[in-house]
Amino acid sequence: MSIDRRDFFKVLGVTGVTLATGKRLGAEPAPDMDSREEFYGMLYDSTRCVGCQGCEFACAEAHALPAPDFEDLPVVGTERKADETRRTVINVYNTSKGEMYVKRQCMHCNDPACAAACLTKAMYKTTDGSVIWRGDKCMGCRYCMVSCPFDVPKFEYFSANPKIEKCDMCYERVREGKTPACAEGCPTEAIVFGSRRELLSEARKRIHDNPGTYHDYIYGEHEAGGTGYLYLSAVPFEELDFKTTLQKSSYPALTKGFLYAVPSIFVLWPALLLGLQQATKNNNHNEEEDHE
Amino acid sequence: MSNTDYTLTGKAPSLSTWQFLKEELKPKGKWLTPFNVISLPIMLTGLILIVIRFWKGIGSITNLTQEVPWGLWIGFDVVTGVAFAGGAYVITFMVYILNMKQYHSIVRVTVLNGFLAYVFYAGALLLDLGRPWNVINPIIGNSFGTSSVLFLVAWHFLLYMIAELIEFSPAVAEWLGAKRARKILSGMTLGAVIFGITLSTLHQSGLGALFLMAKDKIHPLWYSEFIPIMFFVSSIFAGLSMVIFEGSISHKVFSDQISEKNHKAHNRILHGLSKICAVALFAYFTLNVLVFVHEKRWGLLNSPLGYWYLTEMLGFVLLPMVLFFISYRKQNILLIRIASLVTMIGIIINRLNVTVIGFKWDAAQHYYPSWMEITVTLAVIFTEIWIFRWIITRMPVLRDSPAWAKEQS
Amino acid sequence: MDGFSYYNLFETKGIEYIIIIAFLLLIIPFWTMINRPLRLTGKIRKAFNTLTASILRVPQGVFFSDKHTWTHLEKSGNARVGIDDLLLHLTGDVNVSLDVEPGTVVSKGEVISVIDHGGKKLNVVSPISGEVTGINHGLNYELLHEDPYGRGWLLSIKPTDWKSETSSYHIASDATGWLGKELDRFRDFLAVSAGKYIHGSPAVYMQDGGELVDHPLSSMPEEVWSDFEKEFLK
Repeated sequence: MSIDRRDFFKVLGVTGVTLATGKRLGAEPAPDMDSREEFYGMLYDSTRCVGCQGCEFACAEAHALPAPDFEDLPVVGTERKADETRRTVINVYNTSKGEMYVKRQCMHCNDPACAAACLTKAMYKTTDGSVIWRGDKCMGCRYCMVSCPFDVPKFEYFSANPKIEKCDMCYERVREGKTPACAEGCPTEAIVFGSRRELLSEARKRIHDNPGTYHDYIYGEHEAGGTGYLYLSAVPFEELDFKTTLQKSSYPALTKGFLYAVPSIFVLWPALLLGLQQATKNNNHNEEEDHE
Repeated sequence: MSNTDYTLTGKAPSLSTWQFLKEELKPKGKWLTPFNVISLPIMLTGLILIVIRFWKGIGSITNLTQEVPWGLWIGFDVVTGVAFAGGAYVITFMVYILNMKQYHSIVRVTVLNGFLAYVFYAGALLLDLGRPWNVINPIIGNSFGTSSVLFLVAWHFLLYMIAELIEFSPAVAEWLGAKRARKILSGMTLGAVIFGITLSTLHQSGLGALFLMAKDKIHPLWYSEFIPIMFFVSSIFAGLSMVIFEGSISHKVFSDQISEKNHKAHNRILHGLSKICAVALFAYFTLNVLVFVHEKRWGLLNSPLGYWYLTEMLGFVLLPMVLFFISYRKQNILLIRIASLVTMIGIIINRLNVTVIGFKWDAAQHYYPSWMEITVTLAVIFTEIWIFRWIITRMPVLRDSPAWAKEQS
Repeated sequence: MDGFSYYNLFETKGIEYIIIIAFLLLIIPFWTMINRPLRLTGKIRKAFNTLTASILRVPQGVFFSDKHTWTHLEKSGNARVGIDDLLLHLTGDVNVSLDVEPGTVVSKGEVISVIDHGGKKLNVVSPISGEVTGINHGLNYELLHEDPYGRGWLLSIKPTDWKSETSSYHIASDATGWLGKELDRFRDFLAVSAGKYIHGSPAVYMQDGGELVDHPLSSMPEEVWSDFEKEFLK
């Protein structure tokens, strides 16, 4: 598998050199690609998005989901949400720089709350970087939904055998050497697939090379401890209905204190309780006499 | 009506175990009591609703949304129900670890209640699962999600039910007349109690820890990193209040079972428990004040939810603390009962605030439970009470153990 | 976490849970074994260095006289005679001399042996009257202290008046209780006697809390020993 990827990178790296902006980045392979896998990520550039919903169509087709309804176009003032029939949605907002489009889907966090929350490892962070749902393990407890700061996982509430729907960064396609469907289906190359490291430097480069075009912030660089999906925008992200008050550290780290206290309590409580029981062994007689 | 003479020194030798059990399954007492008349239709409706739920999915009978995935069943049945079952670990701690023998007469019924509560609320949880048949996955090892607090809570529920069963099993052995079994099981009591208290500490706080990752989704007046400790401390007086409440009812309904000595002891027990509740509530209130100051929540008070928070804290934590205090000093049994009722309402409010009301309080679509969710919840509770009643009237829980059992210990 | 590759925050949790299970399983035998009833061996007794009734050996079939000698009638008709454990604990390590020959007739209360601790002596008198039929030639210092009721016997006497002479003696559980009381009585005696002859704190012969140190008489002056013989062992 690693060999395939390396060859693949080389081929596309060459292509990327010839095309000014390529669907794939990587003129040269990243340093540690052979020895240790690095996360993939995706970079979404809202300034390039024209709201064609090509990504939505491509995603629906790739995952056997219903195609977007032609009646249901992105409209200012209406919030379109992902649900159990669609993994990604385009919304449009009236911002200080005019109408802007935004694509939302799973953020593929570096340390995902859903994966930490899942008690059967159905929600799983692959070494690739994509966060996938494995149905054979899922028991439908919806704890992933409770924990996700972005409210991403969607549940089939009206099915007898419900599944969780969310973007999985086209894990299967990537393993076959293709790019995720949305990136491929985007005519303006607003969505780019590559290693997270390279995408971050590309994002910084774009901000640097085009002062005034971009708002100087990469959403997803630090949010929730860093996410696989990175966003560039022309306007501050609040105007695009992004949650900007999320913590900049990993969410599972919030439970670390509790989970690491558990073994200590398992050791200390029995010892303490045994000690207490021994110490108060002779109290019986006194107590009963007092109360008679 | 004498109770120690009630022939449960063991099944009659002529009956085989099967015949004995069949005999015991026959109902005793009237069919048309007010309780039966109310509970039976609800239980039947609940059953129908459960069938619909499995056929058409959870959404067909609940109001859960993609933003609010946990509602009444988790927030009330599981989280609140388990808090109320905390009486078992507190009472066994007092009797078996601290050797406070004057509470011995209520150990069995409290442990029974705790066991039934966990069984039924774990059962209710199965209804809430999307794919309940996969619940064995984290048990048999089709991936242990050890990073998950829910993994811990689920395992603890399972282990705790086993520990409670061991603690209660001497009563079953006495009912069946199994003398050797009773001896062996009694020997395991201390171990089961210690295990149970350890497990309880961790899963009472664990239920709170479940919500730690939902930091930005729970209203800041109820979210803090101290939720696990709060849940644990409040489970102490929640459990004891349930003991007081349930004990008062049982003493009226099953008064023919209870020996004269235990009737007299009961008021003394209530009195002692009220003191413990008062102190625990005081500590809990102080903890809340500490967290309030630490999280700098002052600015949040002047809002509808802020007033609701104050209502919970002052009306349902501080007030019952004062009531318990006064009722202890004045030895007023009625006031103790009122205080325990107020405390229990306060616990329900607190748990619902953290898990449902305060969860995604700013969601576009507010969640409130559907009548079907409420019916199923009630059906579960009533079924539990039916089983409780069945056990009480047959096994030596409220009444004294048979003579041979007393000789053994 | 560098944010670019896989990192498991909870990597060791699985192993931790296994350790917990092992701990909980091990604590059961651990606790059971540590709580087994204690059986003090001689060495431990010495290590504790307190003299309490619980460490005294009291064979239940032997008659104890008020002078802390014992006698035991055997099937052969001879009665063995020796020094009891309490007296040996009080005096400490002593040498013993046997001052009668076989064939001699002794009467109850007559001196048959002298025990000696560094020059401080104590007379041992016979608990019964009769003809001495044997003396324990193998008796030495170790045997006396290790096995005072067995191989540390002093004499064997053919008794002439066993029944009446032993009728007031202590045996079985009565003996056990009596020895305990004798210890208390000794404590009181020592407080008075030592107070007469020694100036300074009683720390020399009492532990904190008023417990007796083992071998209390060994560090006492001669005067206390003669007081002991005259007043305690009357």
